[in-house]
Amino acid sequence: MNSFTSAITPNDGDRLQALAGEYVLGTLSRAEHQSVAAQLATNPALRAAVADWEQRFLPLLSLVEPELPPEQLWPRITRSLDQLPQAKAARAAAAARQPLPWWRDLESLALWRGLTAGGFAIAAVLAAVLLLQAAPQPGTRYMVVLVAPEDRAPGWVMQTSSTRQIELIPLGMAEVPAGKALELWTKADAWNAPVSLGLVKPGQRVQVPLDQIPGVQPNQLFELTLEPSTGSPTGRPTGPIHFIGRSVQVS
Amino acid sequence: MPVPCEDFNYEAALLACAAGERAALQRLYEQEAARLLAVVRRIVRDGALAEDVLHDAWVNIWTRATSFDPARGSARGWIYSVARNLALNARRDDLREADLPQETLQVLDDQASLAAWDAVNRAGAWADSAGRVGHCLSELEPVRRDCILYAYVDGLTQKEIAARVSAPLGTVKAWIQRSLVALRACMS
Repeated sequence: MNSFTSAITPNDGDRLQALAGEYVLGTLSRAEHQSVAAQLATNPALRAAVADWEQRFLPLLSLVEPELPPEQLWPRITRSLDQLPQAKAARAAAAARQPLPWWRDLESLALWRGLTAGGFAIAAVLAAVLLLQAAPQPGTRYMVVLVAPEDRAPGWVMQTSSTRQIELIPLGMAEVPAGKALELWTKADAWNAPVSLGLVKPGQRVQVPLDQIPGVQPNQLFELTLEPSTGSPTGRPTGPIHFIGRSVQVS
Repeated sequence: MPVPCEDFNYEAALLACAAGERAALQRLYEQEAARLLAVVRRIVRDGALAEDVLHDAWVNIWTRATSFDPARGSARGWIYSVARNLALNARRDDLREADLPQETLQVLDDQASLAAWDAVNRAGAWADSAGRVGHCLSELEPVRRDCILYAYVDGLTQKEIAARVSAPLGTVKAWIQRSLVALRACMS
C-alpha cells in the first residue's frame, strides 16, 4: 500500500474524493484499486464518496450500444445459482416452511413501491386497526409500513401525526444485539444522502420530530439500520437494514 | 429477450433479489443484461471473457443483493458498479498475463466511445443520454474529456490513455485528477 491509499480518514475530504473518483473511473493501479476495495467495508465516508461518483458517471454508459447476450448465458447463470450453498439451504427451508399468511403473498413490487393497488389495502387495513384512536389530522397525511428486507415481514408502521412529527409504532419486538441500536433514516428521491431521525427503542412507540427535514413527501424512503448504541459515527447508515419502506399518502 | 422498459423499478427488483426471489433477478436480467454485456465487453474486449465476467456479475448481483441499501445509492448504479469492477479486474489480469503490446491494443476499437460521444453531441441529445455529467464533461478541454471517457467507458489504464492521446503519463495523471475536481464542482 502506498501513501496515496493508506489510512484515509473521514476528515481528509479532498484526498478521499480524488481516490473515490479514480477508483470508479478505474485509473488506480492494481494495488491502489485493491486497497480502496478493502477499505470500502470499514470506511463509510469512502463508500459514500464512491457511491456518489458511481452516480455521477453512470449516465455515460448510455454511450455504449447494448448487445444481446447469447441465449445460453441465462441458463448458465441459473445453474451456478443452484449450486450456491444458500440456494440449497433455501430449498430445504422452503420444504419445511408453513404456509405464509395472506399478506406475505403479495407481489414484492407493490409492497416496496408506494403500496399501490393490492398493497394499498394493507396500508389501509393497518391504518384502520392501529390508528383508529388517532384524532383526525388536517392536511395531507402519509404512512409507511417498514418491513424486513429478507422476508418482507412488517415490523413497524409510521404515520405523520402532524406536519412536524411522525409516529413510529412497533408491530412486534425487534431483536437488537447488545451494544447496538436501531437508527431511523429517511431519504426523499431528490436528496443526495439520507438524514438520521435518531435512535429508536425496539418495541416502543416513539414520536419523531421532523425538524431535521423539510417534511414528508410521497414515496420517501424510511429505513431502520443497525448501528452502534450511540448511533452511526459517520452521519450515514453504516450497518445492515433491519426494516425498510416508503411513504404513501393516505389522506 | 423482452425489450427493456423505461420505467423499470430497479430498486424493487434488487430488494426482491435480496429477499431471495429468483424471478426478480430474471426480470433484472431481461431489463439490463444487453447493456451490461456491452459495457463489460467494452472493457475486457474479448467476447468469451466478457460472457464469463457477465456470468460472474449476475451471480454476484444475486449473492450480494442483501448489501444493497437504497439510501446509499441507486440500484442501477449498484448493479453497474458490480459488473464494472469485475470487468476492470479481469482486464487488469488479462493485461498482466498477456502483456499486450500497445500496437495490438491500438487496432482494437477504442475510437468507438469517442465517436459515440461526438454523435451524441451533434444530435444535441445531451440531456437525454448523459445528463449533467455530459454537460460538465463538455466544459472540459477536449483532450481531458477524452481521458475520462477512455478510462470510464473503455476501461483503459492511465498508461494506455497516455499512449492514445500522445501525452506523458504524468500529464495524463494530473489531467484526470484535475478533471475530477472540476466535474465534482460542476455537478454539485
